[in-house]
Amino acid sequence: MLDSDKSLIDAHIGGDRRAFGELVRRHGDSILGYLVRMTGNREQAEDLFQETFQRVHEKGHTFRGERFKSWLFTIATRVAIDGLRKGRRQPVVSLNQSFGCGDGNCDELGAVTAADCCDPSQEAEMAEQKEQVRRAVDELPAKQRATLVLAYYQQLSYPEVAEILGCSTGTVKVQMSRALRTLAQRLPDVSGVAK
Amino acid sequence: MMRHLTEQELIEFRFKLGADAEMGLASEHLAECGHCRAELEKLERRFSSLDLLRGDVAVSEDLVSRVIEQASGPRRVKVAAARKLPAWAAAAAAVLVVGVLIMVANHPGQRKGREPVAKGPEKGIVAPEAELTSAPGDKSGLGATAVMAKGIPDKPPFAPASAIELVTLPRRDNVQLTIYNSADLTLVREKRSLTLKKGWNWLQFMWANTLIDPTSLSLEPKEQGDKIDIQQLVFPARLRELGRWLIRSEVSGQVPFEITYFTSGLSWRAFYMGTLAPDEKTMRMQGYVRVDNASGEEYENAQTRLIVGQVHLLDEIAELARRQYAYGRPGGEILMEDAPVDESHLMKLNGVLASAEVELNAAVEWAAERKEIRKEGLSEYFLYTIEGAETIPDQWGKRLLSFEADDIKVDSLYKYDEERWGDQTIRFVKFANDKDHNLGETPIPDGEVRIYGQAGADGSLSYVGGTSVKYIPVNEEVELDLGPARLVKVEPQLMEFKTANYRFDRQRNISGWDEIRTWKIEIANTRALAVEIEITRGFDTPYWTLSEGVDYKKHDATHARFELKLAPQTKRSVEYKVTTYHGARTQDKVQNTEDRIQNTEEAIQKAAVK
Repeated sequence: MLDSDKSLIDAHIGGDRRAFGELVRRHGDSILGYLVRMTGNREQAEDLFQETFQRVHEKGHTFRGERFKSWLFTIATRVAIDGLRKGRRQPVVSLNQSFGCGDGNCDELGAVTAADCCDPSQEAEMAEQKEQVRRAVDELPAKQRATLVLAYYQQLSYPEVAEILGCSTGTVKVQMSRALRTLAQRLPDVSGVAK
Repeated sequence: MMRHLTEQELIEFRFKLGADAEMGLASEHLAECGHCRAELEKLERRFSSLDLLRGDVAVSEDLVSRVIEQASGPRRVKVAAARKLPAWAAAAAAVLVVGVLIMVANHPGQRKGREPVAKGPEKGIVAPEAELTSAPGDKSGLGATAVMAKGIPDKPPFAPASAIELVTLPRRDNVQLTIYNSADLTLVREKRSLTLKKGWNWLQFMWANTLIDPTSLSLEPKEQGDKIDIQQLVFPARLRELGRWLIRSEVSGQVPFEITYFTSGLSWRAFYMGTLAPDEKTMRMQGYVRVDNASGEEYENAQTRLIVGQVHLLDEIAELARRQYAYGRPGGEILMEDAPVDESHLMKLNGVLASAEVELNAAVEWAAERKEIRKEGLSEYFLYTIEGAETIPDQWGKRLLSFEADDIKVDSLYKYDEERWGDQTIRFVKFANDKDHNLGETPIPDGEVRIYGQAGADGSLSYVGGTSVKYIPVNEEVELDLGPARLVKVEPQLMEFKTANYRFDRQRNISGWDEIRTWKIEIANTRALAVEIEITRGFDTPYWTLSEGVDYKKHDATHARFELKLAPQTKRSVEYKVTTYHGARTQDKVQNTEDRIQNTEEAIQKAAVK
């Protein structure tokens, strides 16, 4: 039977390093995914990922037993917003930068080869659209972006997002609405393009 | 039929952002309105592009390891900016701090059990967590195959399965520092008890924020050496400032290990305090050693040894320590997995360490009640061992008494030499590093000397002067330059100058002459003590003679020296006439000298015949 998050964090505070490792493995993928989408940059996301769990390590004693996932995402959001504020710069996308290699299907923007896709021109078009989407998401204000990523990509409910962001559900909906209205103007029409 | 839905209403409907009542109305409208349905589909197509970024993101094992390693270090302390407090609050805080300090000072024992995690320098070494269960092996076929002999797989693991197995070690059992004075070099030997499991073990050593030379690391079991094999030291890719030893152990449990390495940033210097007796005929001398630690590492209860002498270094340790990677990477950063180091290089370094170990291996016995600095001679060096153990925190210095000697016979000497010191008389204290002077047991290392005299009836000290001394070997004399003396004056005056004995060449031009100077030197001793004065006079030429009847010593080819003793509060004058020879007269002087030598030799031969 799996240990609960609470028991793992308690064990970690008690000096059990395996418990901390278990927490990192259990929530690592979703936190890293969240941070990658927040930053649009895998390397920066990994840095923020380390920072997030460092804070978990340091602040573990302040966890009061509410939902660990929300607590963890709250930390990750603060770290991400801090990180974005500090590292505010023109987004640079490397041709070899990968956005998601965990599933073994690395989609590198510049590494489009004939072997990867049956139609190279379609593949190139998709890469271009993906970049357009990324740019549209990146250009959202940090709070709107966090709301969108948590609600849309992480598929959390609005009350859960509100708990993470420390605001009301109404505020979350307003942020989400604003984000979507902006995106509606900027997102490409992907009809006919294979995903 | 109501109006068409706006884009915002369509978005709110699609993403359930509106109130239930509004959602219901929008739903009803959409069921009836084809235009709005088309608009909604258009929006959905557009938002479906968001799914292009939906690919799963997985955390690599390497990233997990890094996170866990990072968390295994000390917790960071956030330093908050101090707010300006009202005076009463500051006073209350001060009282509280003092109270807490007193409580801590009164209960030192309570600190013993504290986790070393919170302590910066102890972050240095982590070792595999104790797993006292034997490694899984084929028990039924124990020893039957080479692969699983004694339950340990022959093939070592490529890397630790996870950093989660690494834990902080207990404190050092003891540590010995050997600090070389001539180079920024310290040999550190520390003993720690590692808990090993039977099988393959990874020991991790980190040197972040220290000046440890990673190329010099060496690890050796002090017990059960036949059952423990240190296989290799690797420096994992991308993980900076750490190395991992692979250890094969046939035993499980605690084993004492010695870890040896060079570090930079520790230094020591000697300085001395001399107190002259009222008659200035003897001196009491105290030698001190100050050890400074800027290595980034705290050494608790360290046995400290100091080396006097030159050491030949191929590399600057500090530079090695600051390298991004332990062995450097030609051609830029190459991402590689745990790569074994060059074994031959390591063996060479271990050889150096071993020879240093042999050379510095002096027995240590802690017996005397007071701490002393013991001294031992080595082939090229001299070793000073500070008795007992000293804690030298990072960025701190510590002063230790090196030696103390009473009744050292000294000669006070005043010197006058215009070419060296202008018209000032310089005071010196002279003694020898030998048994006659209650010294001579060891050489005296370079250092600053300060001399004090006893002034007044109460014997209070007054600063007489200071200087730096070079290394003083045993049985060598030393003169301490204490600077200008104001109570002993030397004033030379030129009384007469004339030329004579001109020589002319064929064109009747002057080709040689003598210069004759008469000097009078006034010497005044206004001190209440008798003094010795040494006056050196230079003539700018090796061709000179001094008038008969003057008591002098030829110091070198161009200098004469007068040595005088003056009673307290007396004056004296010395007169001399010096003739210097110039041009063709120098040849006459040489000829005269050769003639004199020849005459002397002939006289000696005649005397011998007789």
